[in-house]
Amino acid sequence: MACFLLILVMQIWAVQGSLSAGEFAYKPLAEPFTSSTYRVASMGSDRLLSYLLAIRLQLHDNQSGKHIRYEQLDYQKLTHWLNQITALNPHSEYPAMLASRVYSQTTDKQNMRLMIDFIQSNFTREPQLHWRRMTEATILAKHKLSDLSLALSLAEQLTTQTLDVVMPQWARDMQFILLGELNEFEAGIAIIVAMLESGSLENADERRFLRVKLLEFQQKLLESQQ
Amino acid sequence: MVRQTISLFRYLLLGVVNRRLAILVFILLVLSSLVAGFVSELAIINSQNMGAALQADFLRYSLALVALLLVTSNVAEDYQSKQFERLLTMPISRWQYIMAQLLVILTIATLLSLPVAGMLSFATSFDIALYWAAALWLELVLVALIGLLGILSLEKIPQAVVFSIAIYLLAKFSAVIDQMLSESVKLSDGSASNRFVQWLFEGVLHVMPGTKAFAQNNVFFDSSLLSADLLPSQLLTVAIYAAFLVAVCLVDFYRKEFNL
Repeated sequence: MACFLLILVMQIWAVQGSLSAGEFAYKPLAEPFTSSTYRVASMGSDRLLSYLLAIRLQLHDNQSGKHIRYEQLDYQKLTHWLNQITALNPHSEYPAMLASRVYSQTTDKQNMRLMIDFIQSNFTREPQLHWRRMTEATILAKHKLSDLSLALSLAEQLTTQTLDVVMPQWARDMQFILLGELNEFEAGIAIIVAMLESGSLENADERRFLRVKLLEFQQKLLESQQ
Repeated sequence: MVRQTISLFRYLLLGVVNRRLAILVFILLVLSSLVAGFVSELAIINSQNMGAALQADFLRYSLALVALLLVTSNVAEDYQSKQFERLLTMPISRWQYIMAQLLVILTIATLLSLPVAGMLSFATSFDIALYWAAALWLELVLVALIGLLGILSLEKIPQAVVFSIAIYLLAKFSAVIDQMLSESVKLSDGSASNRFVQWLFEGVLHVMPGTKAFAQNNVFFDSSLLSADLLPSQLLTVAIYAAFLVAVCLVDFYRKEFNL
């Protein structure tokens, strides 16, 4: 009986010790293998593996039942992971979605820029797949980074996409809305006029919205000149 | 002669298809659904396609192993119970035994891949589920034939299973050989050893069926990959390898000596 109690106490002590050690032991993100290694290991199921790797990465910030703060993550390694997953499956939206919706929740502005750069590079490569993430990156740059010039540059990339890239008009409108916030009404008016004259807008509501914005910008320009 | 082969096939099939097999397949189907469902819950986007692809791959590997074990254990039992000696005293040729085993393999592959088609049609579109079941059928036939060759040659289940899995994995990892080959060309100094290794790799690539001979999991994410010539090209590859494996089985089986 005494022996049993001793073993029981030792067991409780060992479990308690491992649990309390787990509170502080954050397991950092390991370096990923190269995408070619993953491709070979996938035995032909490379797209499935890319999604499984993305989920494995997504679960990294939950350790021992606790959520790890994003500030603790090594964003250089994280970007490396996202790049390898993208290289494994360039047709997947998942890594860019993780960057814009999950890893952008950090308070570290440098890390946030890394995520925006990642989204931007994805958008440059395949705009049709990543335009939604690019609009989110524009909003992140404006509201979380408070970097209007970066937001404007991202929005400009959305606006200057050819009509082959199918996206809603509001995504293309972001540039002149940001120009308006920067009080650059002349440039904003030029973009709106170009949009109206291009003849690409088939929706009457869109045209009405642009005309209202045009009047608003012209009015504000006059006020600023007076 | 045909009737004898059919009778032998039916006799061999009785030793393979039973209630245990049905329960095992049912358990695998349920397990695959649970695993796929769990991973789908974790996925933020594209969860349905991911779940279907994972379920398909889970079933592919587990059923390939089941088919391999069924075929090898069936022939191993014949070895152990001296069934060959008994059969060969009857007016049955050795090729009829191989043909009967081939029919058993085709039946097992059909029995294993049909529930997969039904299961996957709930998780993905019907045409993808149908493609996967057909491609899986071809893959199971190929793996089971490798198993048949292994057990006829090696006579013991562990050795035959290890041999078959090694061949299967080597075919699956043909991309590695391809990569090694392209890297070796870059690093090659033109020496005789380099050229020999390169020749060896090229030889292995020519003998092994490539990854394109097997069911393509990527169709779950991009249905445009499901082209009209995808399945026929797999069928052609498997037919060539199946003919080759059956021929080798026949040669090996005719060379065997039994104490009649």
